[in-house]
Order: sequence, then structure tokens, then C-alpha cells
Amino acid sequence: MIEFRNVSKKYETGTEAIHNINFKINKGEFAFLVGSSGSGKSTIIKLILKEEEPTSGNIIINGKDTTFLKPSRVPFLRRSMGIVFQDFRLLPDKTVYENVAFAMYVVRATPKHIRRQVPMVLSLVGLANKAKVYPNELSGGEQQRVALARAIVNNPSMLIADEPTGNLDPNTAWDIMELLNDINLRGTTVVVATHAKDIVDKMNKRVIRIDKGNIVRDEKGGYDEV
Amino acid sequence: MRFNVVSYLIKEGFKSTFKQKKMTGASIIIMCATMFIFGLFFVIGENVNSVITQIESQQGIQIFIDEDATDAEIETLGNQIRAIPGVNRATFVSKEDALNSMKTTLGDESLFEGWDEENPFPASYFVTLTDLSLNEQVQSEILALDNVDEIQSENTTINRLQSLANGIQITTIIILILLIIISIFIISYTIKLTVHARRREISIMKYVGATNGFIRGPFVVEGVIIGVISAIITLVILGIAYNAVMNSIGDSVLLQEMGFGLLSFSEMFYLVLGVYLILGVGIGVLGSAISMRKYLKV
Ligand SMILES: Nc1ncnc2c1ncn2[C@@H]1O[C@H](COP(=O)(O)OP(=O)(O)OP(=O)(O)O)[C@@H](O)[C@H]1O
Ligand SMILES: [Mg+2]
Repeated sequence: MIEFRNVSKKYETGTEAIHNINFKINKGEFAFLVGSSGSGKSTIIKLILKEEEPTSGNIIINGKDTTFLKPSRVPFLRRSMGIVFQDFRLLPDKTVYENVAFAMYVVRATPKHIRRQVPMVLSLVGLANKAKVYPNELSGGEQQRVALARAIVNNPSMLIADEPTGNLDPNTAWDIMELLNDINLRGTTVVVATHAKDIVDKMNKRVIRIDKGNIVRDEKGGYDEV
Repeated sequence: MRFNVVSYLIKEGFKSTFKQKKMTGASIIIMCATMFIFGLFFVIGENVNSVITQIESQQGIQIFIDEDATDAEIETLGNQIRAIPGVNRATFVSKEDALNSMKTTLGDESLFEGWDEENPFPASYFVTLTDLSLNEQVQSEILALDNVDEIQSENTTINRLQSLANGIQITTIIILILLIIISIFIISYTIKLTVHARRREISIMKYVGATNGFIRGPFVVEGVIIGVISAIITLVILGIAYNAVMNSIGDSVLLQEMGFGLLSFSEMFYLVLGVYLILGVGIGVLGSAISMRKYLKV
């Protein structure tokens, strides 16, 4: 599903963000990427999204090596991934419903499909009654739910989240994490980069720990080594 | 493309065009100004070309034939002249024809009494050209033929008109290039503002897998809208200005005496409209493509 083979990334500034990384996340898995600030978590996510190109190595997504993927094919790669960020990234002048529908609209789904799908994912994230509300009228947790609904509305095979709970209080963060778990249980592969020790400990999932661009640990369990 | 995509592109295109009202207005004004100047030279050039064509059909070269040429030699000469590239027609004018036409021109037959026996006018060929720029070349080829006595033509008038036409053409091309550069710059700058204002939307579109073509669409529409609006405004202004000028000089004695008619704007309307629309649409598309480059890279 997601495989990194000897992947290194050096930015133009000269920073070597990750060195010779190898890992493989299987279909239907739930994996955390943890590590201190600047360790390279976001870089790995950008590489998965093909927002950045690796300096060396190969990245295989859904059985296809994306190294030589033509730029015109990248949008289609991204349609297989739902993406969630720390800062929600909702459109302020669109309602909750429109924000979610927008993601279907731009991949040219039919109006009929949009009308059926959007209410379904909104109720899945528990926002069925907030469809007509604007993002600034929602709490942070609710905004992140909208972002989650948008990320899964096109039925991607994997969900990638970069610090999805970074802006939320612990209880709300936990709700979001349970939602990610629900989505995983429906068969979607989930990758979450996070600092949130409590949550990682409580979830007891696979943890890939990055330190200064290297994988220093990769096993099921809590945030720190046992 | 499905219909909802087309209507999406047009709707979004109009929306972003009118979001940046000041900048859109400024770029339309600048485009109109440069298109107007280009249009002026374009219609002047069209008129000069039309005058040249009119002259080409009237103006000819008179080739006087040696007095002692036989009928057969005259016949051969005629065929040789017709074979020269650039010669449109070669009409034989006999000694009698020449005398008769002189009589009609002067309108007083009594002056020519007795000339019929001792006709001083030589026989000639009257040659018209397909293209005035070939004038000198055709003349030198004719001079090399046998039985040619002398050539008469209005070389200086022809050459002057030809160089005027060339000058106008070069000026028009330079103005066209400047127009294209200035307009592409101003349109791409304007669209850059809307792109920048909507960068959040664009980045979300990219994350959820919208194709570059889909993202670019509304901005291309925006560029085309600015280009087409400018084209239409300029066409109207140019038409009004042209007709005003024509009304004041159209019936001037000089032009009438020369016997050349200038073109009316309606004769050029579709040509100017076509040129303006091609420019407007082309510049709009190019301008938007340039403005989007940076944002589509990721
Ligand atoms: N676009 C970039 N250009 C240059 N250097 C970058 C760029 N993005 C990240 N870096 C550098 O690469 C290293 C890894 O950054 P990255 O964002 O992957 O860390 P992170 O683990 O996500 O940190 P955080 O937990 O703070 O989000 C850092 O040293 C950072 O300064
Ligand atoms: Mg990060």
C-alpha cells in the first residue's frame, strides 16, 4: 500500500530531512508517525502525497512506483488519498456542506452522486445537523470533522493526517482519533503524524518513530519504547 | 466535457474577473489603448493596400515598339511580354488607336488634320501588373526583349506608394508585438492577483486531486473575458473614430481628383473584429497560463 525503499530527502536549502528510510504500511493498517519537532514527519507525508520528490530511493503507492509518475498523473494518485492537516484548511465562504461537496465537485463527480454522498459522510462524522453552517461558526473539533468528511468523501483507499489533533484540546483530540479509528475499521489505511503521546499510548497501534530523519523504532505499542 | 463543468468554468471565470474590479478595469483600459493604436495602423495599412490595388489595376507600363518592327515581330513581342511573371495583361495599341485616343483626350479633331497619313505615334503594348512590387523587375526584363524602343511608366509614384505600404506594415508589426507583450504582462498580473486571492482554494483543489486543467480553467476564462471585452470596446471606439475621420476627409477634393476611394469601416468590420478577437483570446489564454505557472507546480 505505502512502501518507502531507501528514501532520502534533501531540501534545496541543504537540510537533509530524512536519510535512507525503509518502511511498509499494508492495506487496512493504522500507523502513527511520531518524533520530535523537525524530525521529518511532515516530509514523509509530503513525499507520500508527491508534494515533494525524494532525492533518492523509491516510493511505492498501491503497488505502483511513483518515482517516475508523470506530473499529469499526480492528481489521480491523490484521489486515492484523503488528507487532513492540523489547521483544517476549510474554505471560509462555503458552508459545511459546500466544503465537503467541493472535494467531489473538483474531481467532477455527478450532482446526483454528490447529493447522495455528502449527507452520508456528514452523518458519519456526526455533523448531519451542521450542514448549512459556516466554518467560523464551528468549534475546532467540529471543523476538523468537516475536514475529515472532506477527506473521505471520495472514498480514498488511505487517509493521511499531519498532526490532526495539534490544535485541539485532549478530549476533542480523542474524539477525532476515535473517528480516525472508525474510518480505519471501515477498511481505509490510516497514517497519522503526531506529537500526542497520550493518544498514541492509548490507541496501541503501530508506531514508526523518526529521529533526525532516521527510523529508530517501528513496532506496535505506545509512544515511547517499553 | 459534461455541461456542468462548462457552466462551472464560465461561472467561476466571471466571478474571479469581477472580484478584482480595479485591476480588471485597469487592464481592460490598457489593453484597449494598445489595441486602439494597433487598430489605427491596421486600418491605415488596409487603406494604403486598397489604394495600391486600385493603382495596380489602372497603372500600367507603356512599351513603345520600334517603328520598323513587322506585324509578326510585334505579335512575338506581345507573347514574350505576357510570359514574364508579374504581367497581368498586355494590350496592343496600334498607331491608329494611339492617335484616336489622343483625339478623344484633346476633344478637338481639327488639330490633327493630315496626321492620319503621317501618324507620329508609335505602336505600343499597354502592360498591367499583378503586383506593383514587381514593377522594376518586369521593366528590366521587357527592356531586354527585341523591338522595344522605350518604356514609360510612373516609377516614382509606384515606388513611393510601395515603400509607404512597407513602412506601415513594419510599424504595424512592431506595434502588434508591443501590444502582445504589454497585454500579456498586464493580464497575467491581474490574474495573478485573483490566483493569489484564491490560493487556499487552489491548494485544497490540488490535495483532493483536481487536475491542473480543471484548476486553470476559470483563470483562462478570466483572461479570455478581459481580452474579449477589450476587443469589443476597442472595436466600437475605433469604428466611431474612423467614421468621424472619414466624414471630414471623405469628400476632400484631393481624393476625388485622384479617383481613389477609401475603405468604409463596414468593409473592414469583420476583418478587424476577427483580428481583435484572435488577439484578445490568445493574449487572455497566454496571460493566464503565465500567471498560473507558480501555483500549479506542487
Ligand atoms: N520546504 C522546506 N525547505 C527546506 N527545509 C525544510 C522544508 N520543509 C522542512 N524542512 C526541514 O526539514 C526538516 C524536517 O522537517 P519536517 O517538517 O519534516 O519536520 P516535522 O517532523 O514535521 O516537524 P514538526 O513536528 O515540527 O511538524 C526540518 O529541519 C525542517 O527545517
Ligand atoms: Mg510537521
